[in-house]
Amino acid sequence: MQVYNEENKIEIAVYDSLKRVMDPELGINIVDLGLIYKISYTDENGIHITMTLSTKGCPMSDVIMDQMDSVLSEQFPEVKHHLELTWEPVWNTSFVTPEGKKALGLTF
Amino acid sequence: MQLATKKAPPANIVLPHYAFASVAFLVLTILLFFSADSFVGHYFNPKLLTLTHIAVLGWGTMIIFGSLYQLLPVILNSELYSNLFARLTFYFWGLGLIILAFSFWTFSIGFTIQLASILLFVAATLFLINIIVTALKAEKLNIQSEFIVTAALWFWITVAIGILMAFNLTYAFLPKEHLFYLKLHAHVGVAGWFLLLIMGAGSKLLPMFLLSTSVNEKKLTTAYYLLNAGIIGFLVDSLFFNGISRAIIYLIIVLAGIIFFISFIYEAYKNRARKDLDIGMKQTFYAFIIISICMISSVLNNVTILKSEAFSQQVTLIFGVSIFIGFISLLIMGQTLKTLPFIVWLNKYQKIAGKGKTPLPKDLYSEKIANWQLRIFIVGFILLLVGILVSTVIFIKIASLLLIVTALLYNFNVLKMLLHKTSVQPFPKNN
Repeated sequence: MQVYNEENKIEIAVYDSLKRVMDPELGINIVDLGLIYKISYTDENGIHITMTLSTKGCPMSDVIMDQMDSVLSEQFPEVKHHLELTWEPVWNTSFVTPEGKKALGLTF
Repeated sequence: MQLATKKAPPANIVLPHYAFASVAFLVLTILLFFSADSFVGHYFNPKLLTLTHIAVLGWGTMIIFGSLYQLLPVILNSELYSNLFARLTFYFWGLGLIILAFSFWTFSIGFTIQLASILLFVAATLFLINIIVTALKAEKLNIQSEFIVTAALWFWITVAIGILMAFNLTYAFLPKEHLFYLKLHAHVGVAGWFLLLIMGAGSKLLPMFLLSTSVNEKKLTTAYYLLNAGIIGFLVDSLFFNGISRAIIYLIIVLAGIIFFISFIYEAYKNRARKDLDIGMKQTFYAFIIISICMISSVLNNVTILKSEAFSQQVTLIFGVSIFIGFISLLIMGQTLKTLPFIVWLNKYQKIAGKGKTPLPKDLYSEKIANWQLRIFIVGFILLLVGILVSTVIFIKIASLLLIVTALLYNFNVLKMLLHKTSVQPFPKNN
């Protein structure tokens, strides 16, 4: 899944910085877990991230989103950011990157 | 945006439950060693009553209280009604259990057992109010919360029967014999409290830990109704229609409910994205294998044709040991490694996560110790069953020594987590 515009340097930087955010239960970063659906950046609106969680009502939801806030505030202190949680499409293992699949022990 | 973990009560409410329960488990295994000869006689004896109540109230229920205070706000997306009630429940329950265990061990059936039962009843009532009001405040109930609220209600009924029995020992006011009420107390406690609660919490946690994408919740609903129908049928028929001999009918209904639940868990297991099971989940799945021993022994116990006095005693003991020392203990040990590291981690790192590299919840305990704990437990548990089957005290003594080692290893890991010191490293510069 292409989640950012390859010509937008800020979006690329956001994508990379979100690799610091771990799902504490799984021990995998949220990018490799495929939780990030869309990153967009414009000068007017700042950073907008559309994301999901592996389970509805996940007890880690606020921990993950708090970590994202911390990382984004530290890396992009001058830029406002907004996190949008969505359940469409429902997360599934096809969103997991090859690195994430390896970490989860997935063979497909 | 959901803020589920921020709705959970402070860690200083939840964590003492884990500490108390792990010490209770150690005490249970030590007393088991000194009660080995009780396993070759009738199950209604002071030492076995002590062991059962330490297992059920100190080990099982105490850890359920703690984990439920953390889990319920997540399931309901609603804050716990009263942190004060939760604290009071802990103190009343803990003190009540200590006095109750002393009363059973010394068979003091007068004032001390009555005092203990009053303390436990007050705790159970506070707990029930806390759970019901928390559920009423929630915007939307789901099948998991229905399991949990109903379990809390059956728990209160179990304790209420218990207090009646405690006073009946001195005043003998109940119309039927004491063992009749003991059966109601035990069956409602096991099926109504433990099974419903385990199903409610397990149906939320296990698919989540396994990253299972699709599971059929209709199986859960069926399990819920079957279990409750079986318990209500058993209770009403026994109390009002003298139907305790028809218990097999209700047992079959309850077993059908358990089969639906196991089928739900199996589906979650089959559809899991996470292929490697960690040590916590391994223990959990072994616990579900042990439940088959409980199911077989519960049927055998009710099949009249097989009943000789000695065989019936052994089967009852096998059932009790399989469910409390086998199923529930292994499930708790496994789920401790899934829930306690998370709770400690949240307490230490929630506010600083994302600001540096932190350990993960799984780094908070020793996996090597947990692996040894599981291996030694399995050998000890099997030896205990064999010891009961062949009525050999020395086997039971060796088994209880192995279970003491299990409890020590478990306590080591619990202590390691509870005493964890915060450690944050800076992120690597290239990331």
